[in-house]
Amino acid sequence: MEIVESAVHDAARQHAEEAALAALVDQYASTLYRVAFSVLRNQQDAEDAVQEAFLRVLRHRETLGEIRDHRVWLVRIVWNIVLDRKRRAKTRPETDDIADLARVLPADGLSAEQRAAALQHHAQVLTCVEKLPAREREVMLLSAFEELSSVEIAAVLGVTESSVRSRLFRARNLLAELLQHKRSTT
Amino acid sequence: MSPEDRNERSAGALAEEDTLRMIAMLAAPEGLEDRVKAGLRSAPRRGAVIAWPSASGEGWMHSAGMRAAAAAAIVLAVAGGGWGVYSHIQIAPVPSAFVEQPLQNGAGRFSTAGAMHVPKTVQGPVVAAPVVEKQKQEAGKASQKRERQAGKKSKARANAALSADQPSSDN
Repeated sequence: MEIVESAVHDAARQHAEEAALAALVDQYASTLYRVAFSVLRNQQDAEDAVQEAFLRVLRHRETLGEIRDHRVWLVRIVWNIVLDRKRRAKTRPETDDIADLARVLPADGLSAEQRAAALQHHAQVLTCVEKLPAREREVMLLSAFEELSSVEIAAVLGVTESSVRSRLFRARNLLAELLQHKRSTT
Repeated sequence: MSPEDRNERSAGALAEEDTLRMIAMLAAPEGLEDRVKAGLRSAPRRGAVIAWPSASGEGWMHSAGMRAAAAAAIVLAVAGGGWGVYSHIQIAPVPSAFVEQPLQNGAGRFSTAGAMHVPKTVQGPVVAAPVVEKQKQEAGKASQKRERQAGKKSKARANAALSADQPSSDN
């Protein structure tokens, strides 16, 4: 009789875990995709990264109840995954990434000339962002997400909030210098 | 760089960050959640050292005995393969001693250049012992020895004669 009760209990627990995981997917898959895309700049790669992140959650689903902030926890998981993938897959030239990005960035209401100018501008910005030091670049990429506060960015990166702010300040100055230099040379 | 320039640059960069914000606000592709859920459903539930592709449900492949047997078979296969490789490798024997080839004309060595080693001896004084005295002493010693032997023999004869003259105690 005890065996039947424990089996029922296990089944109920498993069902509850699956429901919790499905709720996490519904709530945060889109956010995780955008975080992944901001680094990888490829739709398929970003989707694979989101899938891998939730597979990791599935493997550690017993600890779901202990997580205080699921959003930051999930962003941190997918952030580590995409950084690892970015390091390993350095085969694609950056120009291809930017060309891919140009196709997905919104350009509604723009003429052909304006659209071309906007794409050139985006390409310049992204090229300069890529030239930033890794620490500053990471903070700048994450700060673009309005739903992430500096405290949450600090939690994702595993640093203090003051460190995030100082890195962001340096990143903005460096980016401005790089863009100015690029425009003056072209 | 003055603080005003820094602020202007920061303000300019903030405008440039619009590109990153646009990327951050891109919509996720349609059906992303469904694909992720489908991937999670098809994922293996329990982690195992060896994945069993043909296993379906609680079949014989899940029994501990079969797993142990399969693991033992894998170990045997690996060990057998290793032994097969090892047995086909012929290792050259290592000589216990090396024979050194004699060098001709002392090449590669220091030569004595024909020098001979002569031991140093001390030239001490020569003692001239008198030969005659020595012979006289030796002759004296020999006569004394003969006399002692003759004395011993005469004593022995006298003792034998005394023992013959005395009557026997048994009679």
